Amino acid sequence: MRHIPEEELHAYLDQGLSRSQCVEIESHLAACPSCQAERDSIAALRDRTTALLAKLAPPRGFPPAFELLRRRATIEVSARRRRTHIAAWAASLVAALGLGWTANYLLMPGRSESPLPIVSSPALSAPPTQVASSPTLRSRRPAPVRTRQASQRQSPTPSPDLSPAESLPPVVPAPTLELTSIDIPRTDPDLELEGMWRTLSWDGAQAEAGAQLPHIDGLPVVQVQLQAAERGKQPLMVVAQQLSSGEVIRTIEGPMSDVSHLLAGRTMTDPASQPGGSDSARSIRGPNHTDRTMAMQRGDRMLVITGALPSDSLLAMIRRLNAEMRSK
Amino acid sequence: MDELEQLYQTTYTAVVRFLYRKVWDAERAEDLAQEVFVRALAHRPEKPRAWVFAVAANLARDEARAAVRRKRHLILLKGDPVALPTIEPAADTLVEHDERMAAVQEALSALTPRDREILLLWDAGLSYPEIAAQTGLALGAVGTTLARARRRLVDAHDRQHATKGSHAAHS
Repeated sequence: MRHIPEEELHAYLDQGLSRSQCVEIESHLAACPSCQAERDSIAALRDRTTALLAKLAPPRGFPPAFELLRRRATIEVSARRRRTHIAAWAASLVAALGLGWTANYLLMPGRSESPLPIVSSPALSAPPTQVASSPTLRSRRPAPVRTRQASQRQSPTPSPDLSPAESLPPVVPAPTLELTSIDIPRTDPDLELEGMWRTLSWDGAQAEAGAQLPHIDGLPVVQVQLQAAERGKQPLMVVAQQLSSGEVIRTIEGPMSDVSHLLAGRTMTDPASQPGGSDSARSIRGPNHTDRTMAMQRGDRMLVITGALPSDSLLAMIRRLNAEMRSK
Repeated sequence: MDELEQLYQTTYTAVVRFLYRKVWDAERAEDLAQEVFVRALAHRPEKPRAWVFAVAANLARDEARAAVRRKRHLILLKGDPVALPTIEPAADTLVEHDERMAAVQEALSALTPRDREILLLWDAGLSYPEIAAQTGLALGAVGTTLARARRRLVDAHDRQHATKGSHAAHS
């Protein structure tokens, strides 16, 4: 007669066996004193182990209310969503920044003229994405692009009559992009770019800027603005592009003094403190919507990316872009 | 009451104990246990009980790695091995309790990591199938492992006692 192996007796006592196995073991035990003795000694061993381990218990604490953990979880879930969202953005950015500012440049800190991440300033207010959050303007049929038409500041040359189709740059390879998903942000009336600004079509701007418009590949361009520079120099350019979330990020490139002037002016402009600031603009711009800026400098030119994202996210995005480009 | 809340009420203490036997710090064990349940709330796993212990084991492992790094760092700073803190005897009973605990702790550390893990999971209340799923062990091997782990734990503990007893006799 085969005796019950030790491990099976452990499993039997631990209720780790199937019903039929148990029946088999029990019928054997009933007839086998030696296995009964073995079972008893294993039961004693089990009890000793449990008693020994019981000594390894921390002083009994008080578990916090489950509600507290639930609240923590809610906070963490939303933080994770935010991270995912930012990651998606970074991925689209990885595609490439246009312009002479390639990632190759960004990522060669050894170069003498490259002081790397320069600015990381909060409270940079880019025009808010009013349209994105106002459903009434989410028209499915292509509406004429509304640009900031502050007539006294408008360029002497009439700005081309833009339609969303025209404002979509040819570089956007956009299987995922549809016209209907593009909202044209109305520029915040409180925020004026100083000097002579012209809003151009993508093609017009490219012609003017020599095909070197700063932009992030893969995102729909919603606005291109240029400010003429001295003859023979590259103008100051601002390209606004929209994230799928509706937020607008801007890529700015130009002579350093002009760009910093532009940024400084914007920093000082607090929409809430401006007379005539629209309520909708204010309501959109909660504390979570503070624009952040990352800037890079090369020689006397400056490249800036600004958007309603934490500055460390912008930094992470740029690092990642650099890493991706280097690995190519 | 939702399923996770129920699980929390019934297993929180077991999770803390499970973690304590890995990190040997009561407060840290509680922090980690809470973290485990916060993650469970965020993930809503299908088999929450097994999931909770799997995550707890992972957190404890990360914690142990960090502790090793910290220790190495300390050693670098001090230039000599880290001395274990000496226990101030507060009361006789406390000392006795600490000694007993240290003896079991030592016996537990004499087990192989796998045997120890399975023993602790069993003691935390996991079933054979749950232990098998979590550790990758065949269901049939759980009993074998537990049999060995129990024997070794008790043997190591008793051996210690025997040597201590003989030391006491000699002194």
